[in-house]
Amino acid sequence: MHIPDGYLDIYLVLTMYLLSATVVALSIFRTKTLSQKFGIVAAAIFVAQMLNWPIPGGTSAHFVGGSLAAILLGPYAGCVAMSVVLIVQCLVFNDGGITALGANIWNMAVVNVFVGYFVYKSFEKYGKELAAFLAGWLGITLAAIFAGLEIGLSANFIYGVFITVPIMAVWHAALGVIEGIITAAVLRAVYPSISTEVSKISKKSLLAIILMILVSPIFAYSAELVGYTEPLEKAAENLGLEENPLYSGVLPDYVVPNLDPYLSVLISATLGTFIVFGLGYILNARTNRKNA
Amino acid sequence: MHELIERTLKEASKYFQNFFIHEYLKKSALHFVDPRVKFLMSMVFVLLVVSTFSISKTSVVVISIFAIAIASKLSLSQLIKRAWLFTVFSFVVVLPAVFYDAMYVATFTLRVFAAIISMQLFILTTPFSEICAVLRYFKIPQNLVNSVWLTYRYILLLFNDLLTILLARESRRVSKGSHMDVWRKGGEAVGNFFVRSFERAERVEMAMKSRGDLDWSRNWNFGSNELLSSLITLTVVLWWWIA
Repeated sequence: MHIPDGYLDIYLVLTMYLLSATVVALSIFRTKTLSQKFGIVAAAIFVAQMLNWPIPGGTSAHFVGGSLAAILLGPYAGCVAMSVVLIVQCLVFNDGGITALGANIWNMAVVNVFVGYFVYKSFEKYGKELAAFLAGWLGITLAAIFAGLEIGLSANFIYGVFITVPIMAVWHAALGVIEGIITAAVLRAVYPSISTEVSKISKKSLLAIILMILVSPIFAYSAELVGYTEPLEKAAENLGLEENPLYSGVLPDYVVPNLDPYLSVLISATLGTFIVFGLGYILNARTNRKNA
Repeated sequence: MHELIERTLKEASKYFQNFFIHEYLKKSALHFVDPRVKFLMSMVFVLLVVSTFSISKTSVVVISIFAIAIASKLSLSQLIKRAWLFTVFSFVVVLPAVFYDAMYVATFTLRVFAAIISMQLFILTTPFSEICAVLRYFKIPQNLVNSVWLTYRYILLLFNDLLTILLARESRRVSKGSHMDVWRKGGEAVGNFFVRSFERAERVEMAMKSRGDLDWSRNWNFGSNELLSSLITLTVVLWWWIA
């Protein structure tokens, strides 16, 4: 499910990085007791991912562990632990591209973890093992659907969402059964002997993240649809209205003259970021001086 | 089939043991370049690749990386060895499109290959502790970087831990058992492994707290190697632009 470099276009890369960074930053903030030990738990998840489980018929599958991490550590710490696993996989083993890291974190450390946790908590009253199975199965299936959506929406990929999403969904819905069984089997062994470190969950935060997950395909779709131009501009273009600005700015429409459009946007964005950071830095320095 | 879990784990342990040893074995000129400069160089190459769908522009990046690898005595075979799997996978994924757009298939596959080898320039020539120091330099939160570092350091140890648990289970097994048995016992073994990992994590954390936090500060220097690398990157960007 790890998306390599070259699959996602630059708009999706930026959108997914932004979405993932928001949730991971919130998770780090919420997990105030986050400590080094998550590194070791993340290593344990990494190792458990390498196991191939036999399936009748002579084949095998491995598990991802997002839902298990959510159940054992809580959604925020689980999200951080899975992000750590994905960063190591990307930076050491090149499993998943650096440009696709945002999308991979979104699928496996956000969707898988938070949906897994939500499903587990919803069905816990019917039995922990059943809840763990459903969390494992649904978590991985939804993560795969999101991966399919991102790849399908990318302008770089020749197949559309109507091909990528069903393929990813059907395949992972079948493999997800194994993920569910492993999650339930491991949880049955772990639960009696371990005190799970579930951090206090703010319902508002959890709801906000679930909402972000639900609307993220719209973000990705819109990014592709409008090519990151203003929807209002698009509407004006459709209505045949012409732009007549009083001042066109230094870099109008984020375009550097005589430069590749992608590179132009990138340079404009970098420049803009530096300006905003610079202003923020000056403001911060002035405030600190006043307070001193 | 019943030994599949143990077998794959043994193979994985062997692979990772070799992988970690390999990291420090070969030295190229790139090993002596400031990791921050190498990281930025790789990122620039990746961005050049993903921001175009022109085969000539992508080829410019691939040729440049090969030239850099040859000039710095970085093993080309290692570079290709690390990239071929995902490249072939990507080729197979887009293969059906070859009947109506063969150029797309070629460009897409080359883009994936170019992006992977771009990152490998950095990964192959930088110890992981330096990679973490670079992440800290670029203001990635300390706790996250510490966790990434510990994950890396404990992977091999935990592989051996899990292998020991599975071998102990295997030595106590008297019958083959059904698939259900394999799954049930496997679940118990992995559960036991997680319990042990949690306990180890507590011990390590306490030990680390008593010794003080990890220090990622480095004496970075920008000398002639770094200047040359920056000039090469700039040249590739210009070549890519006019290609």
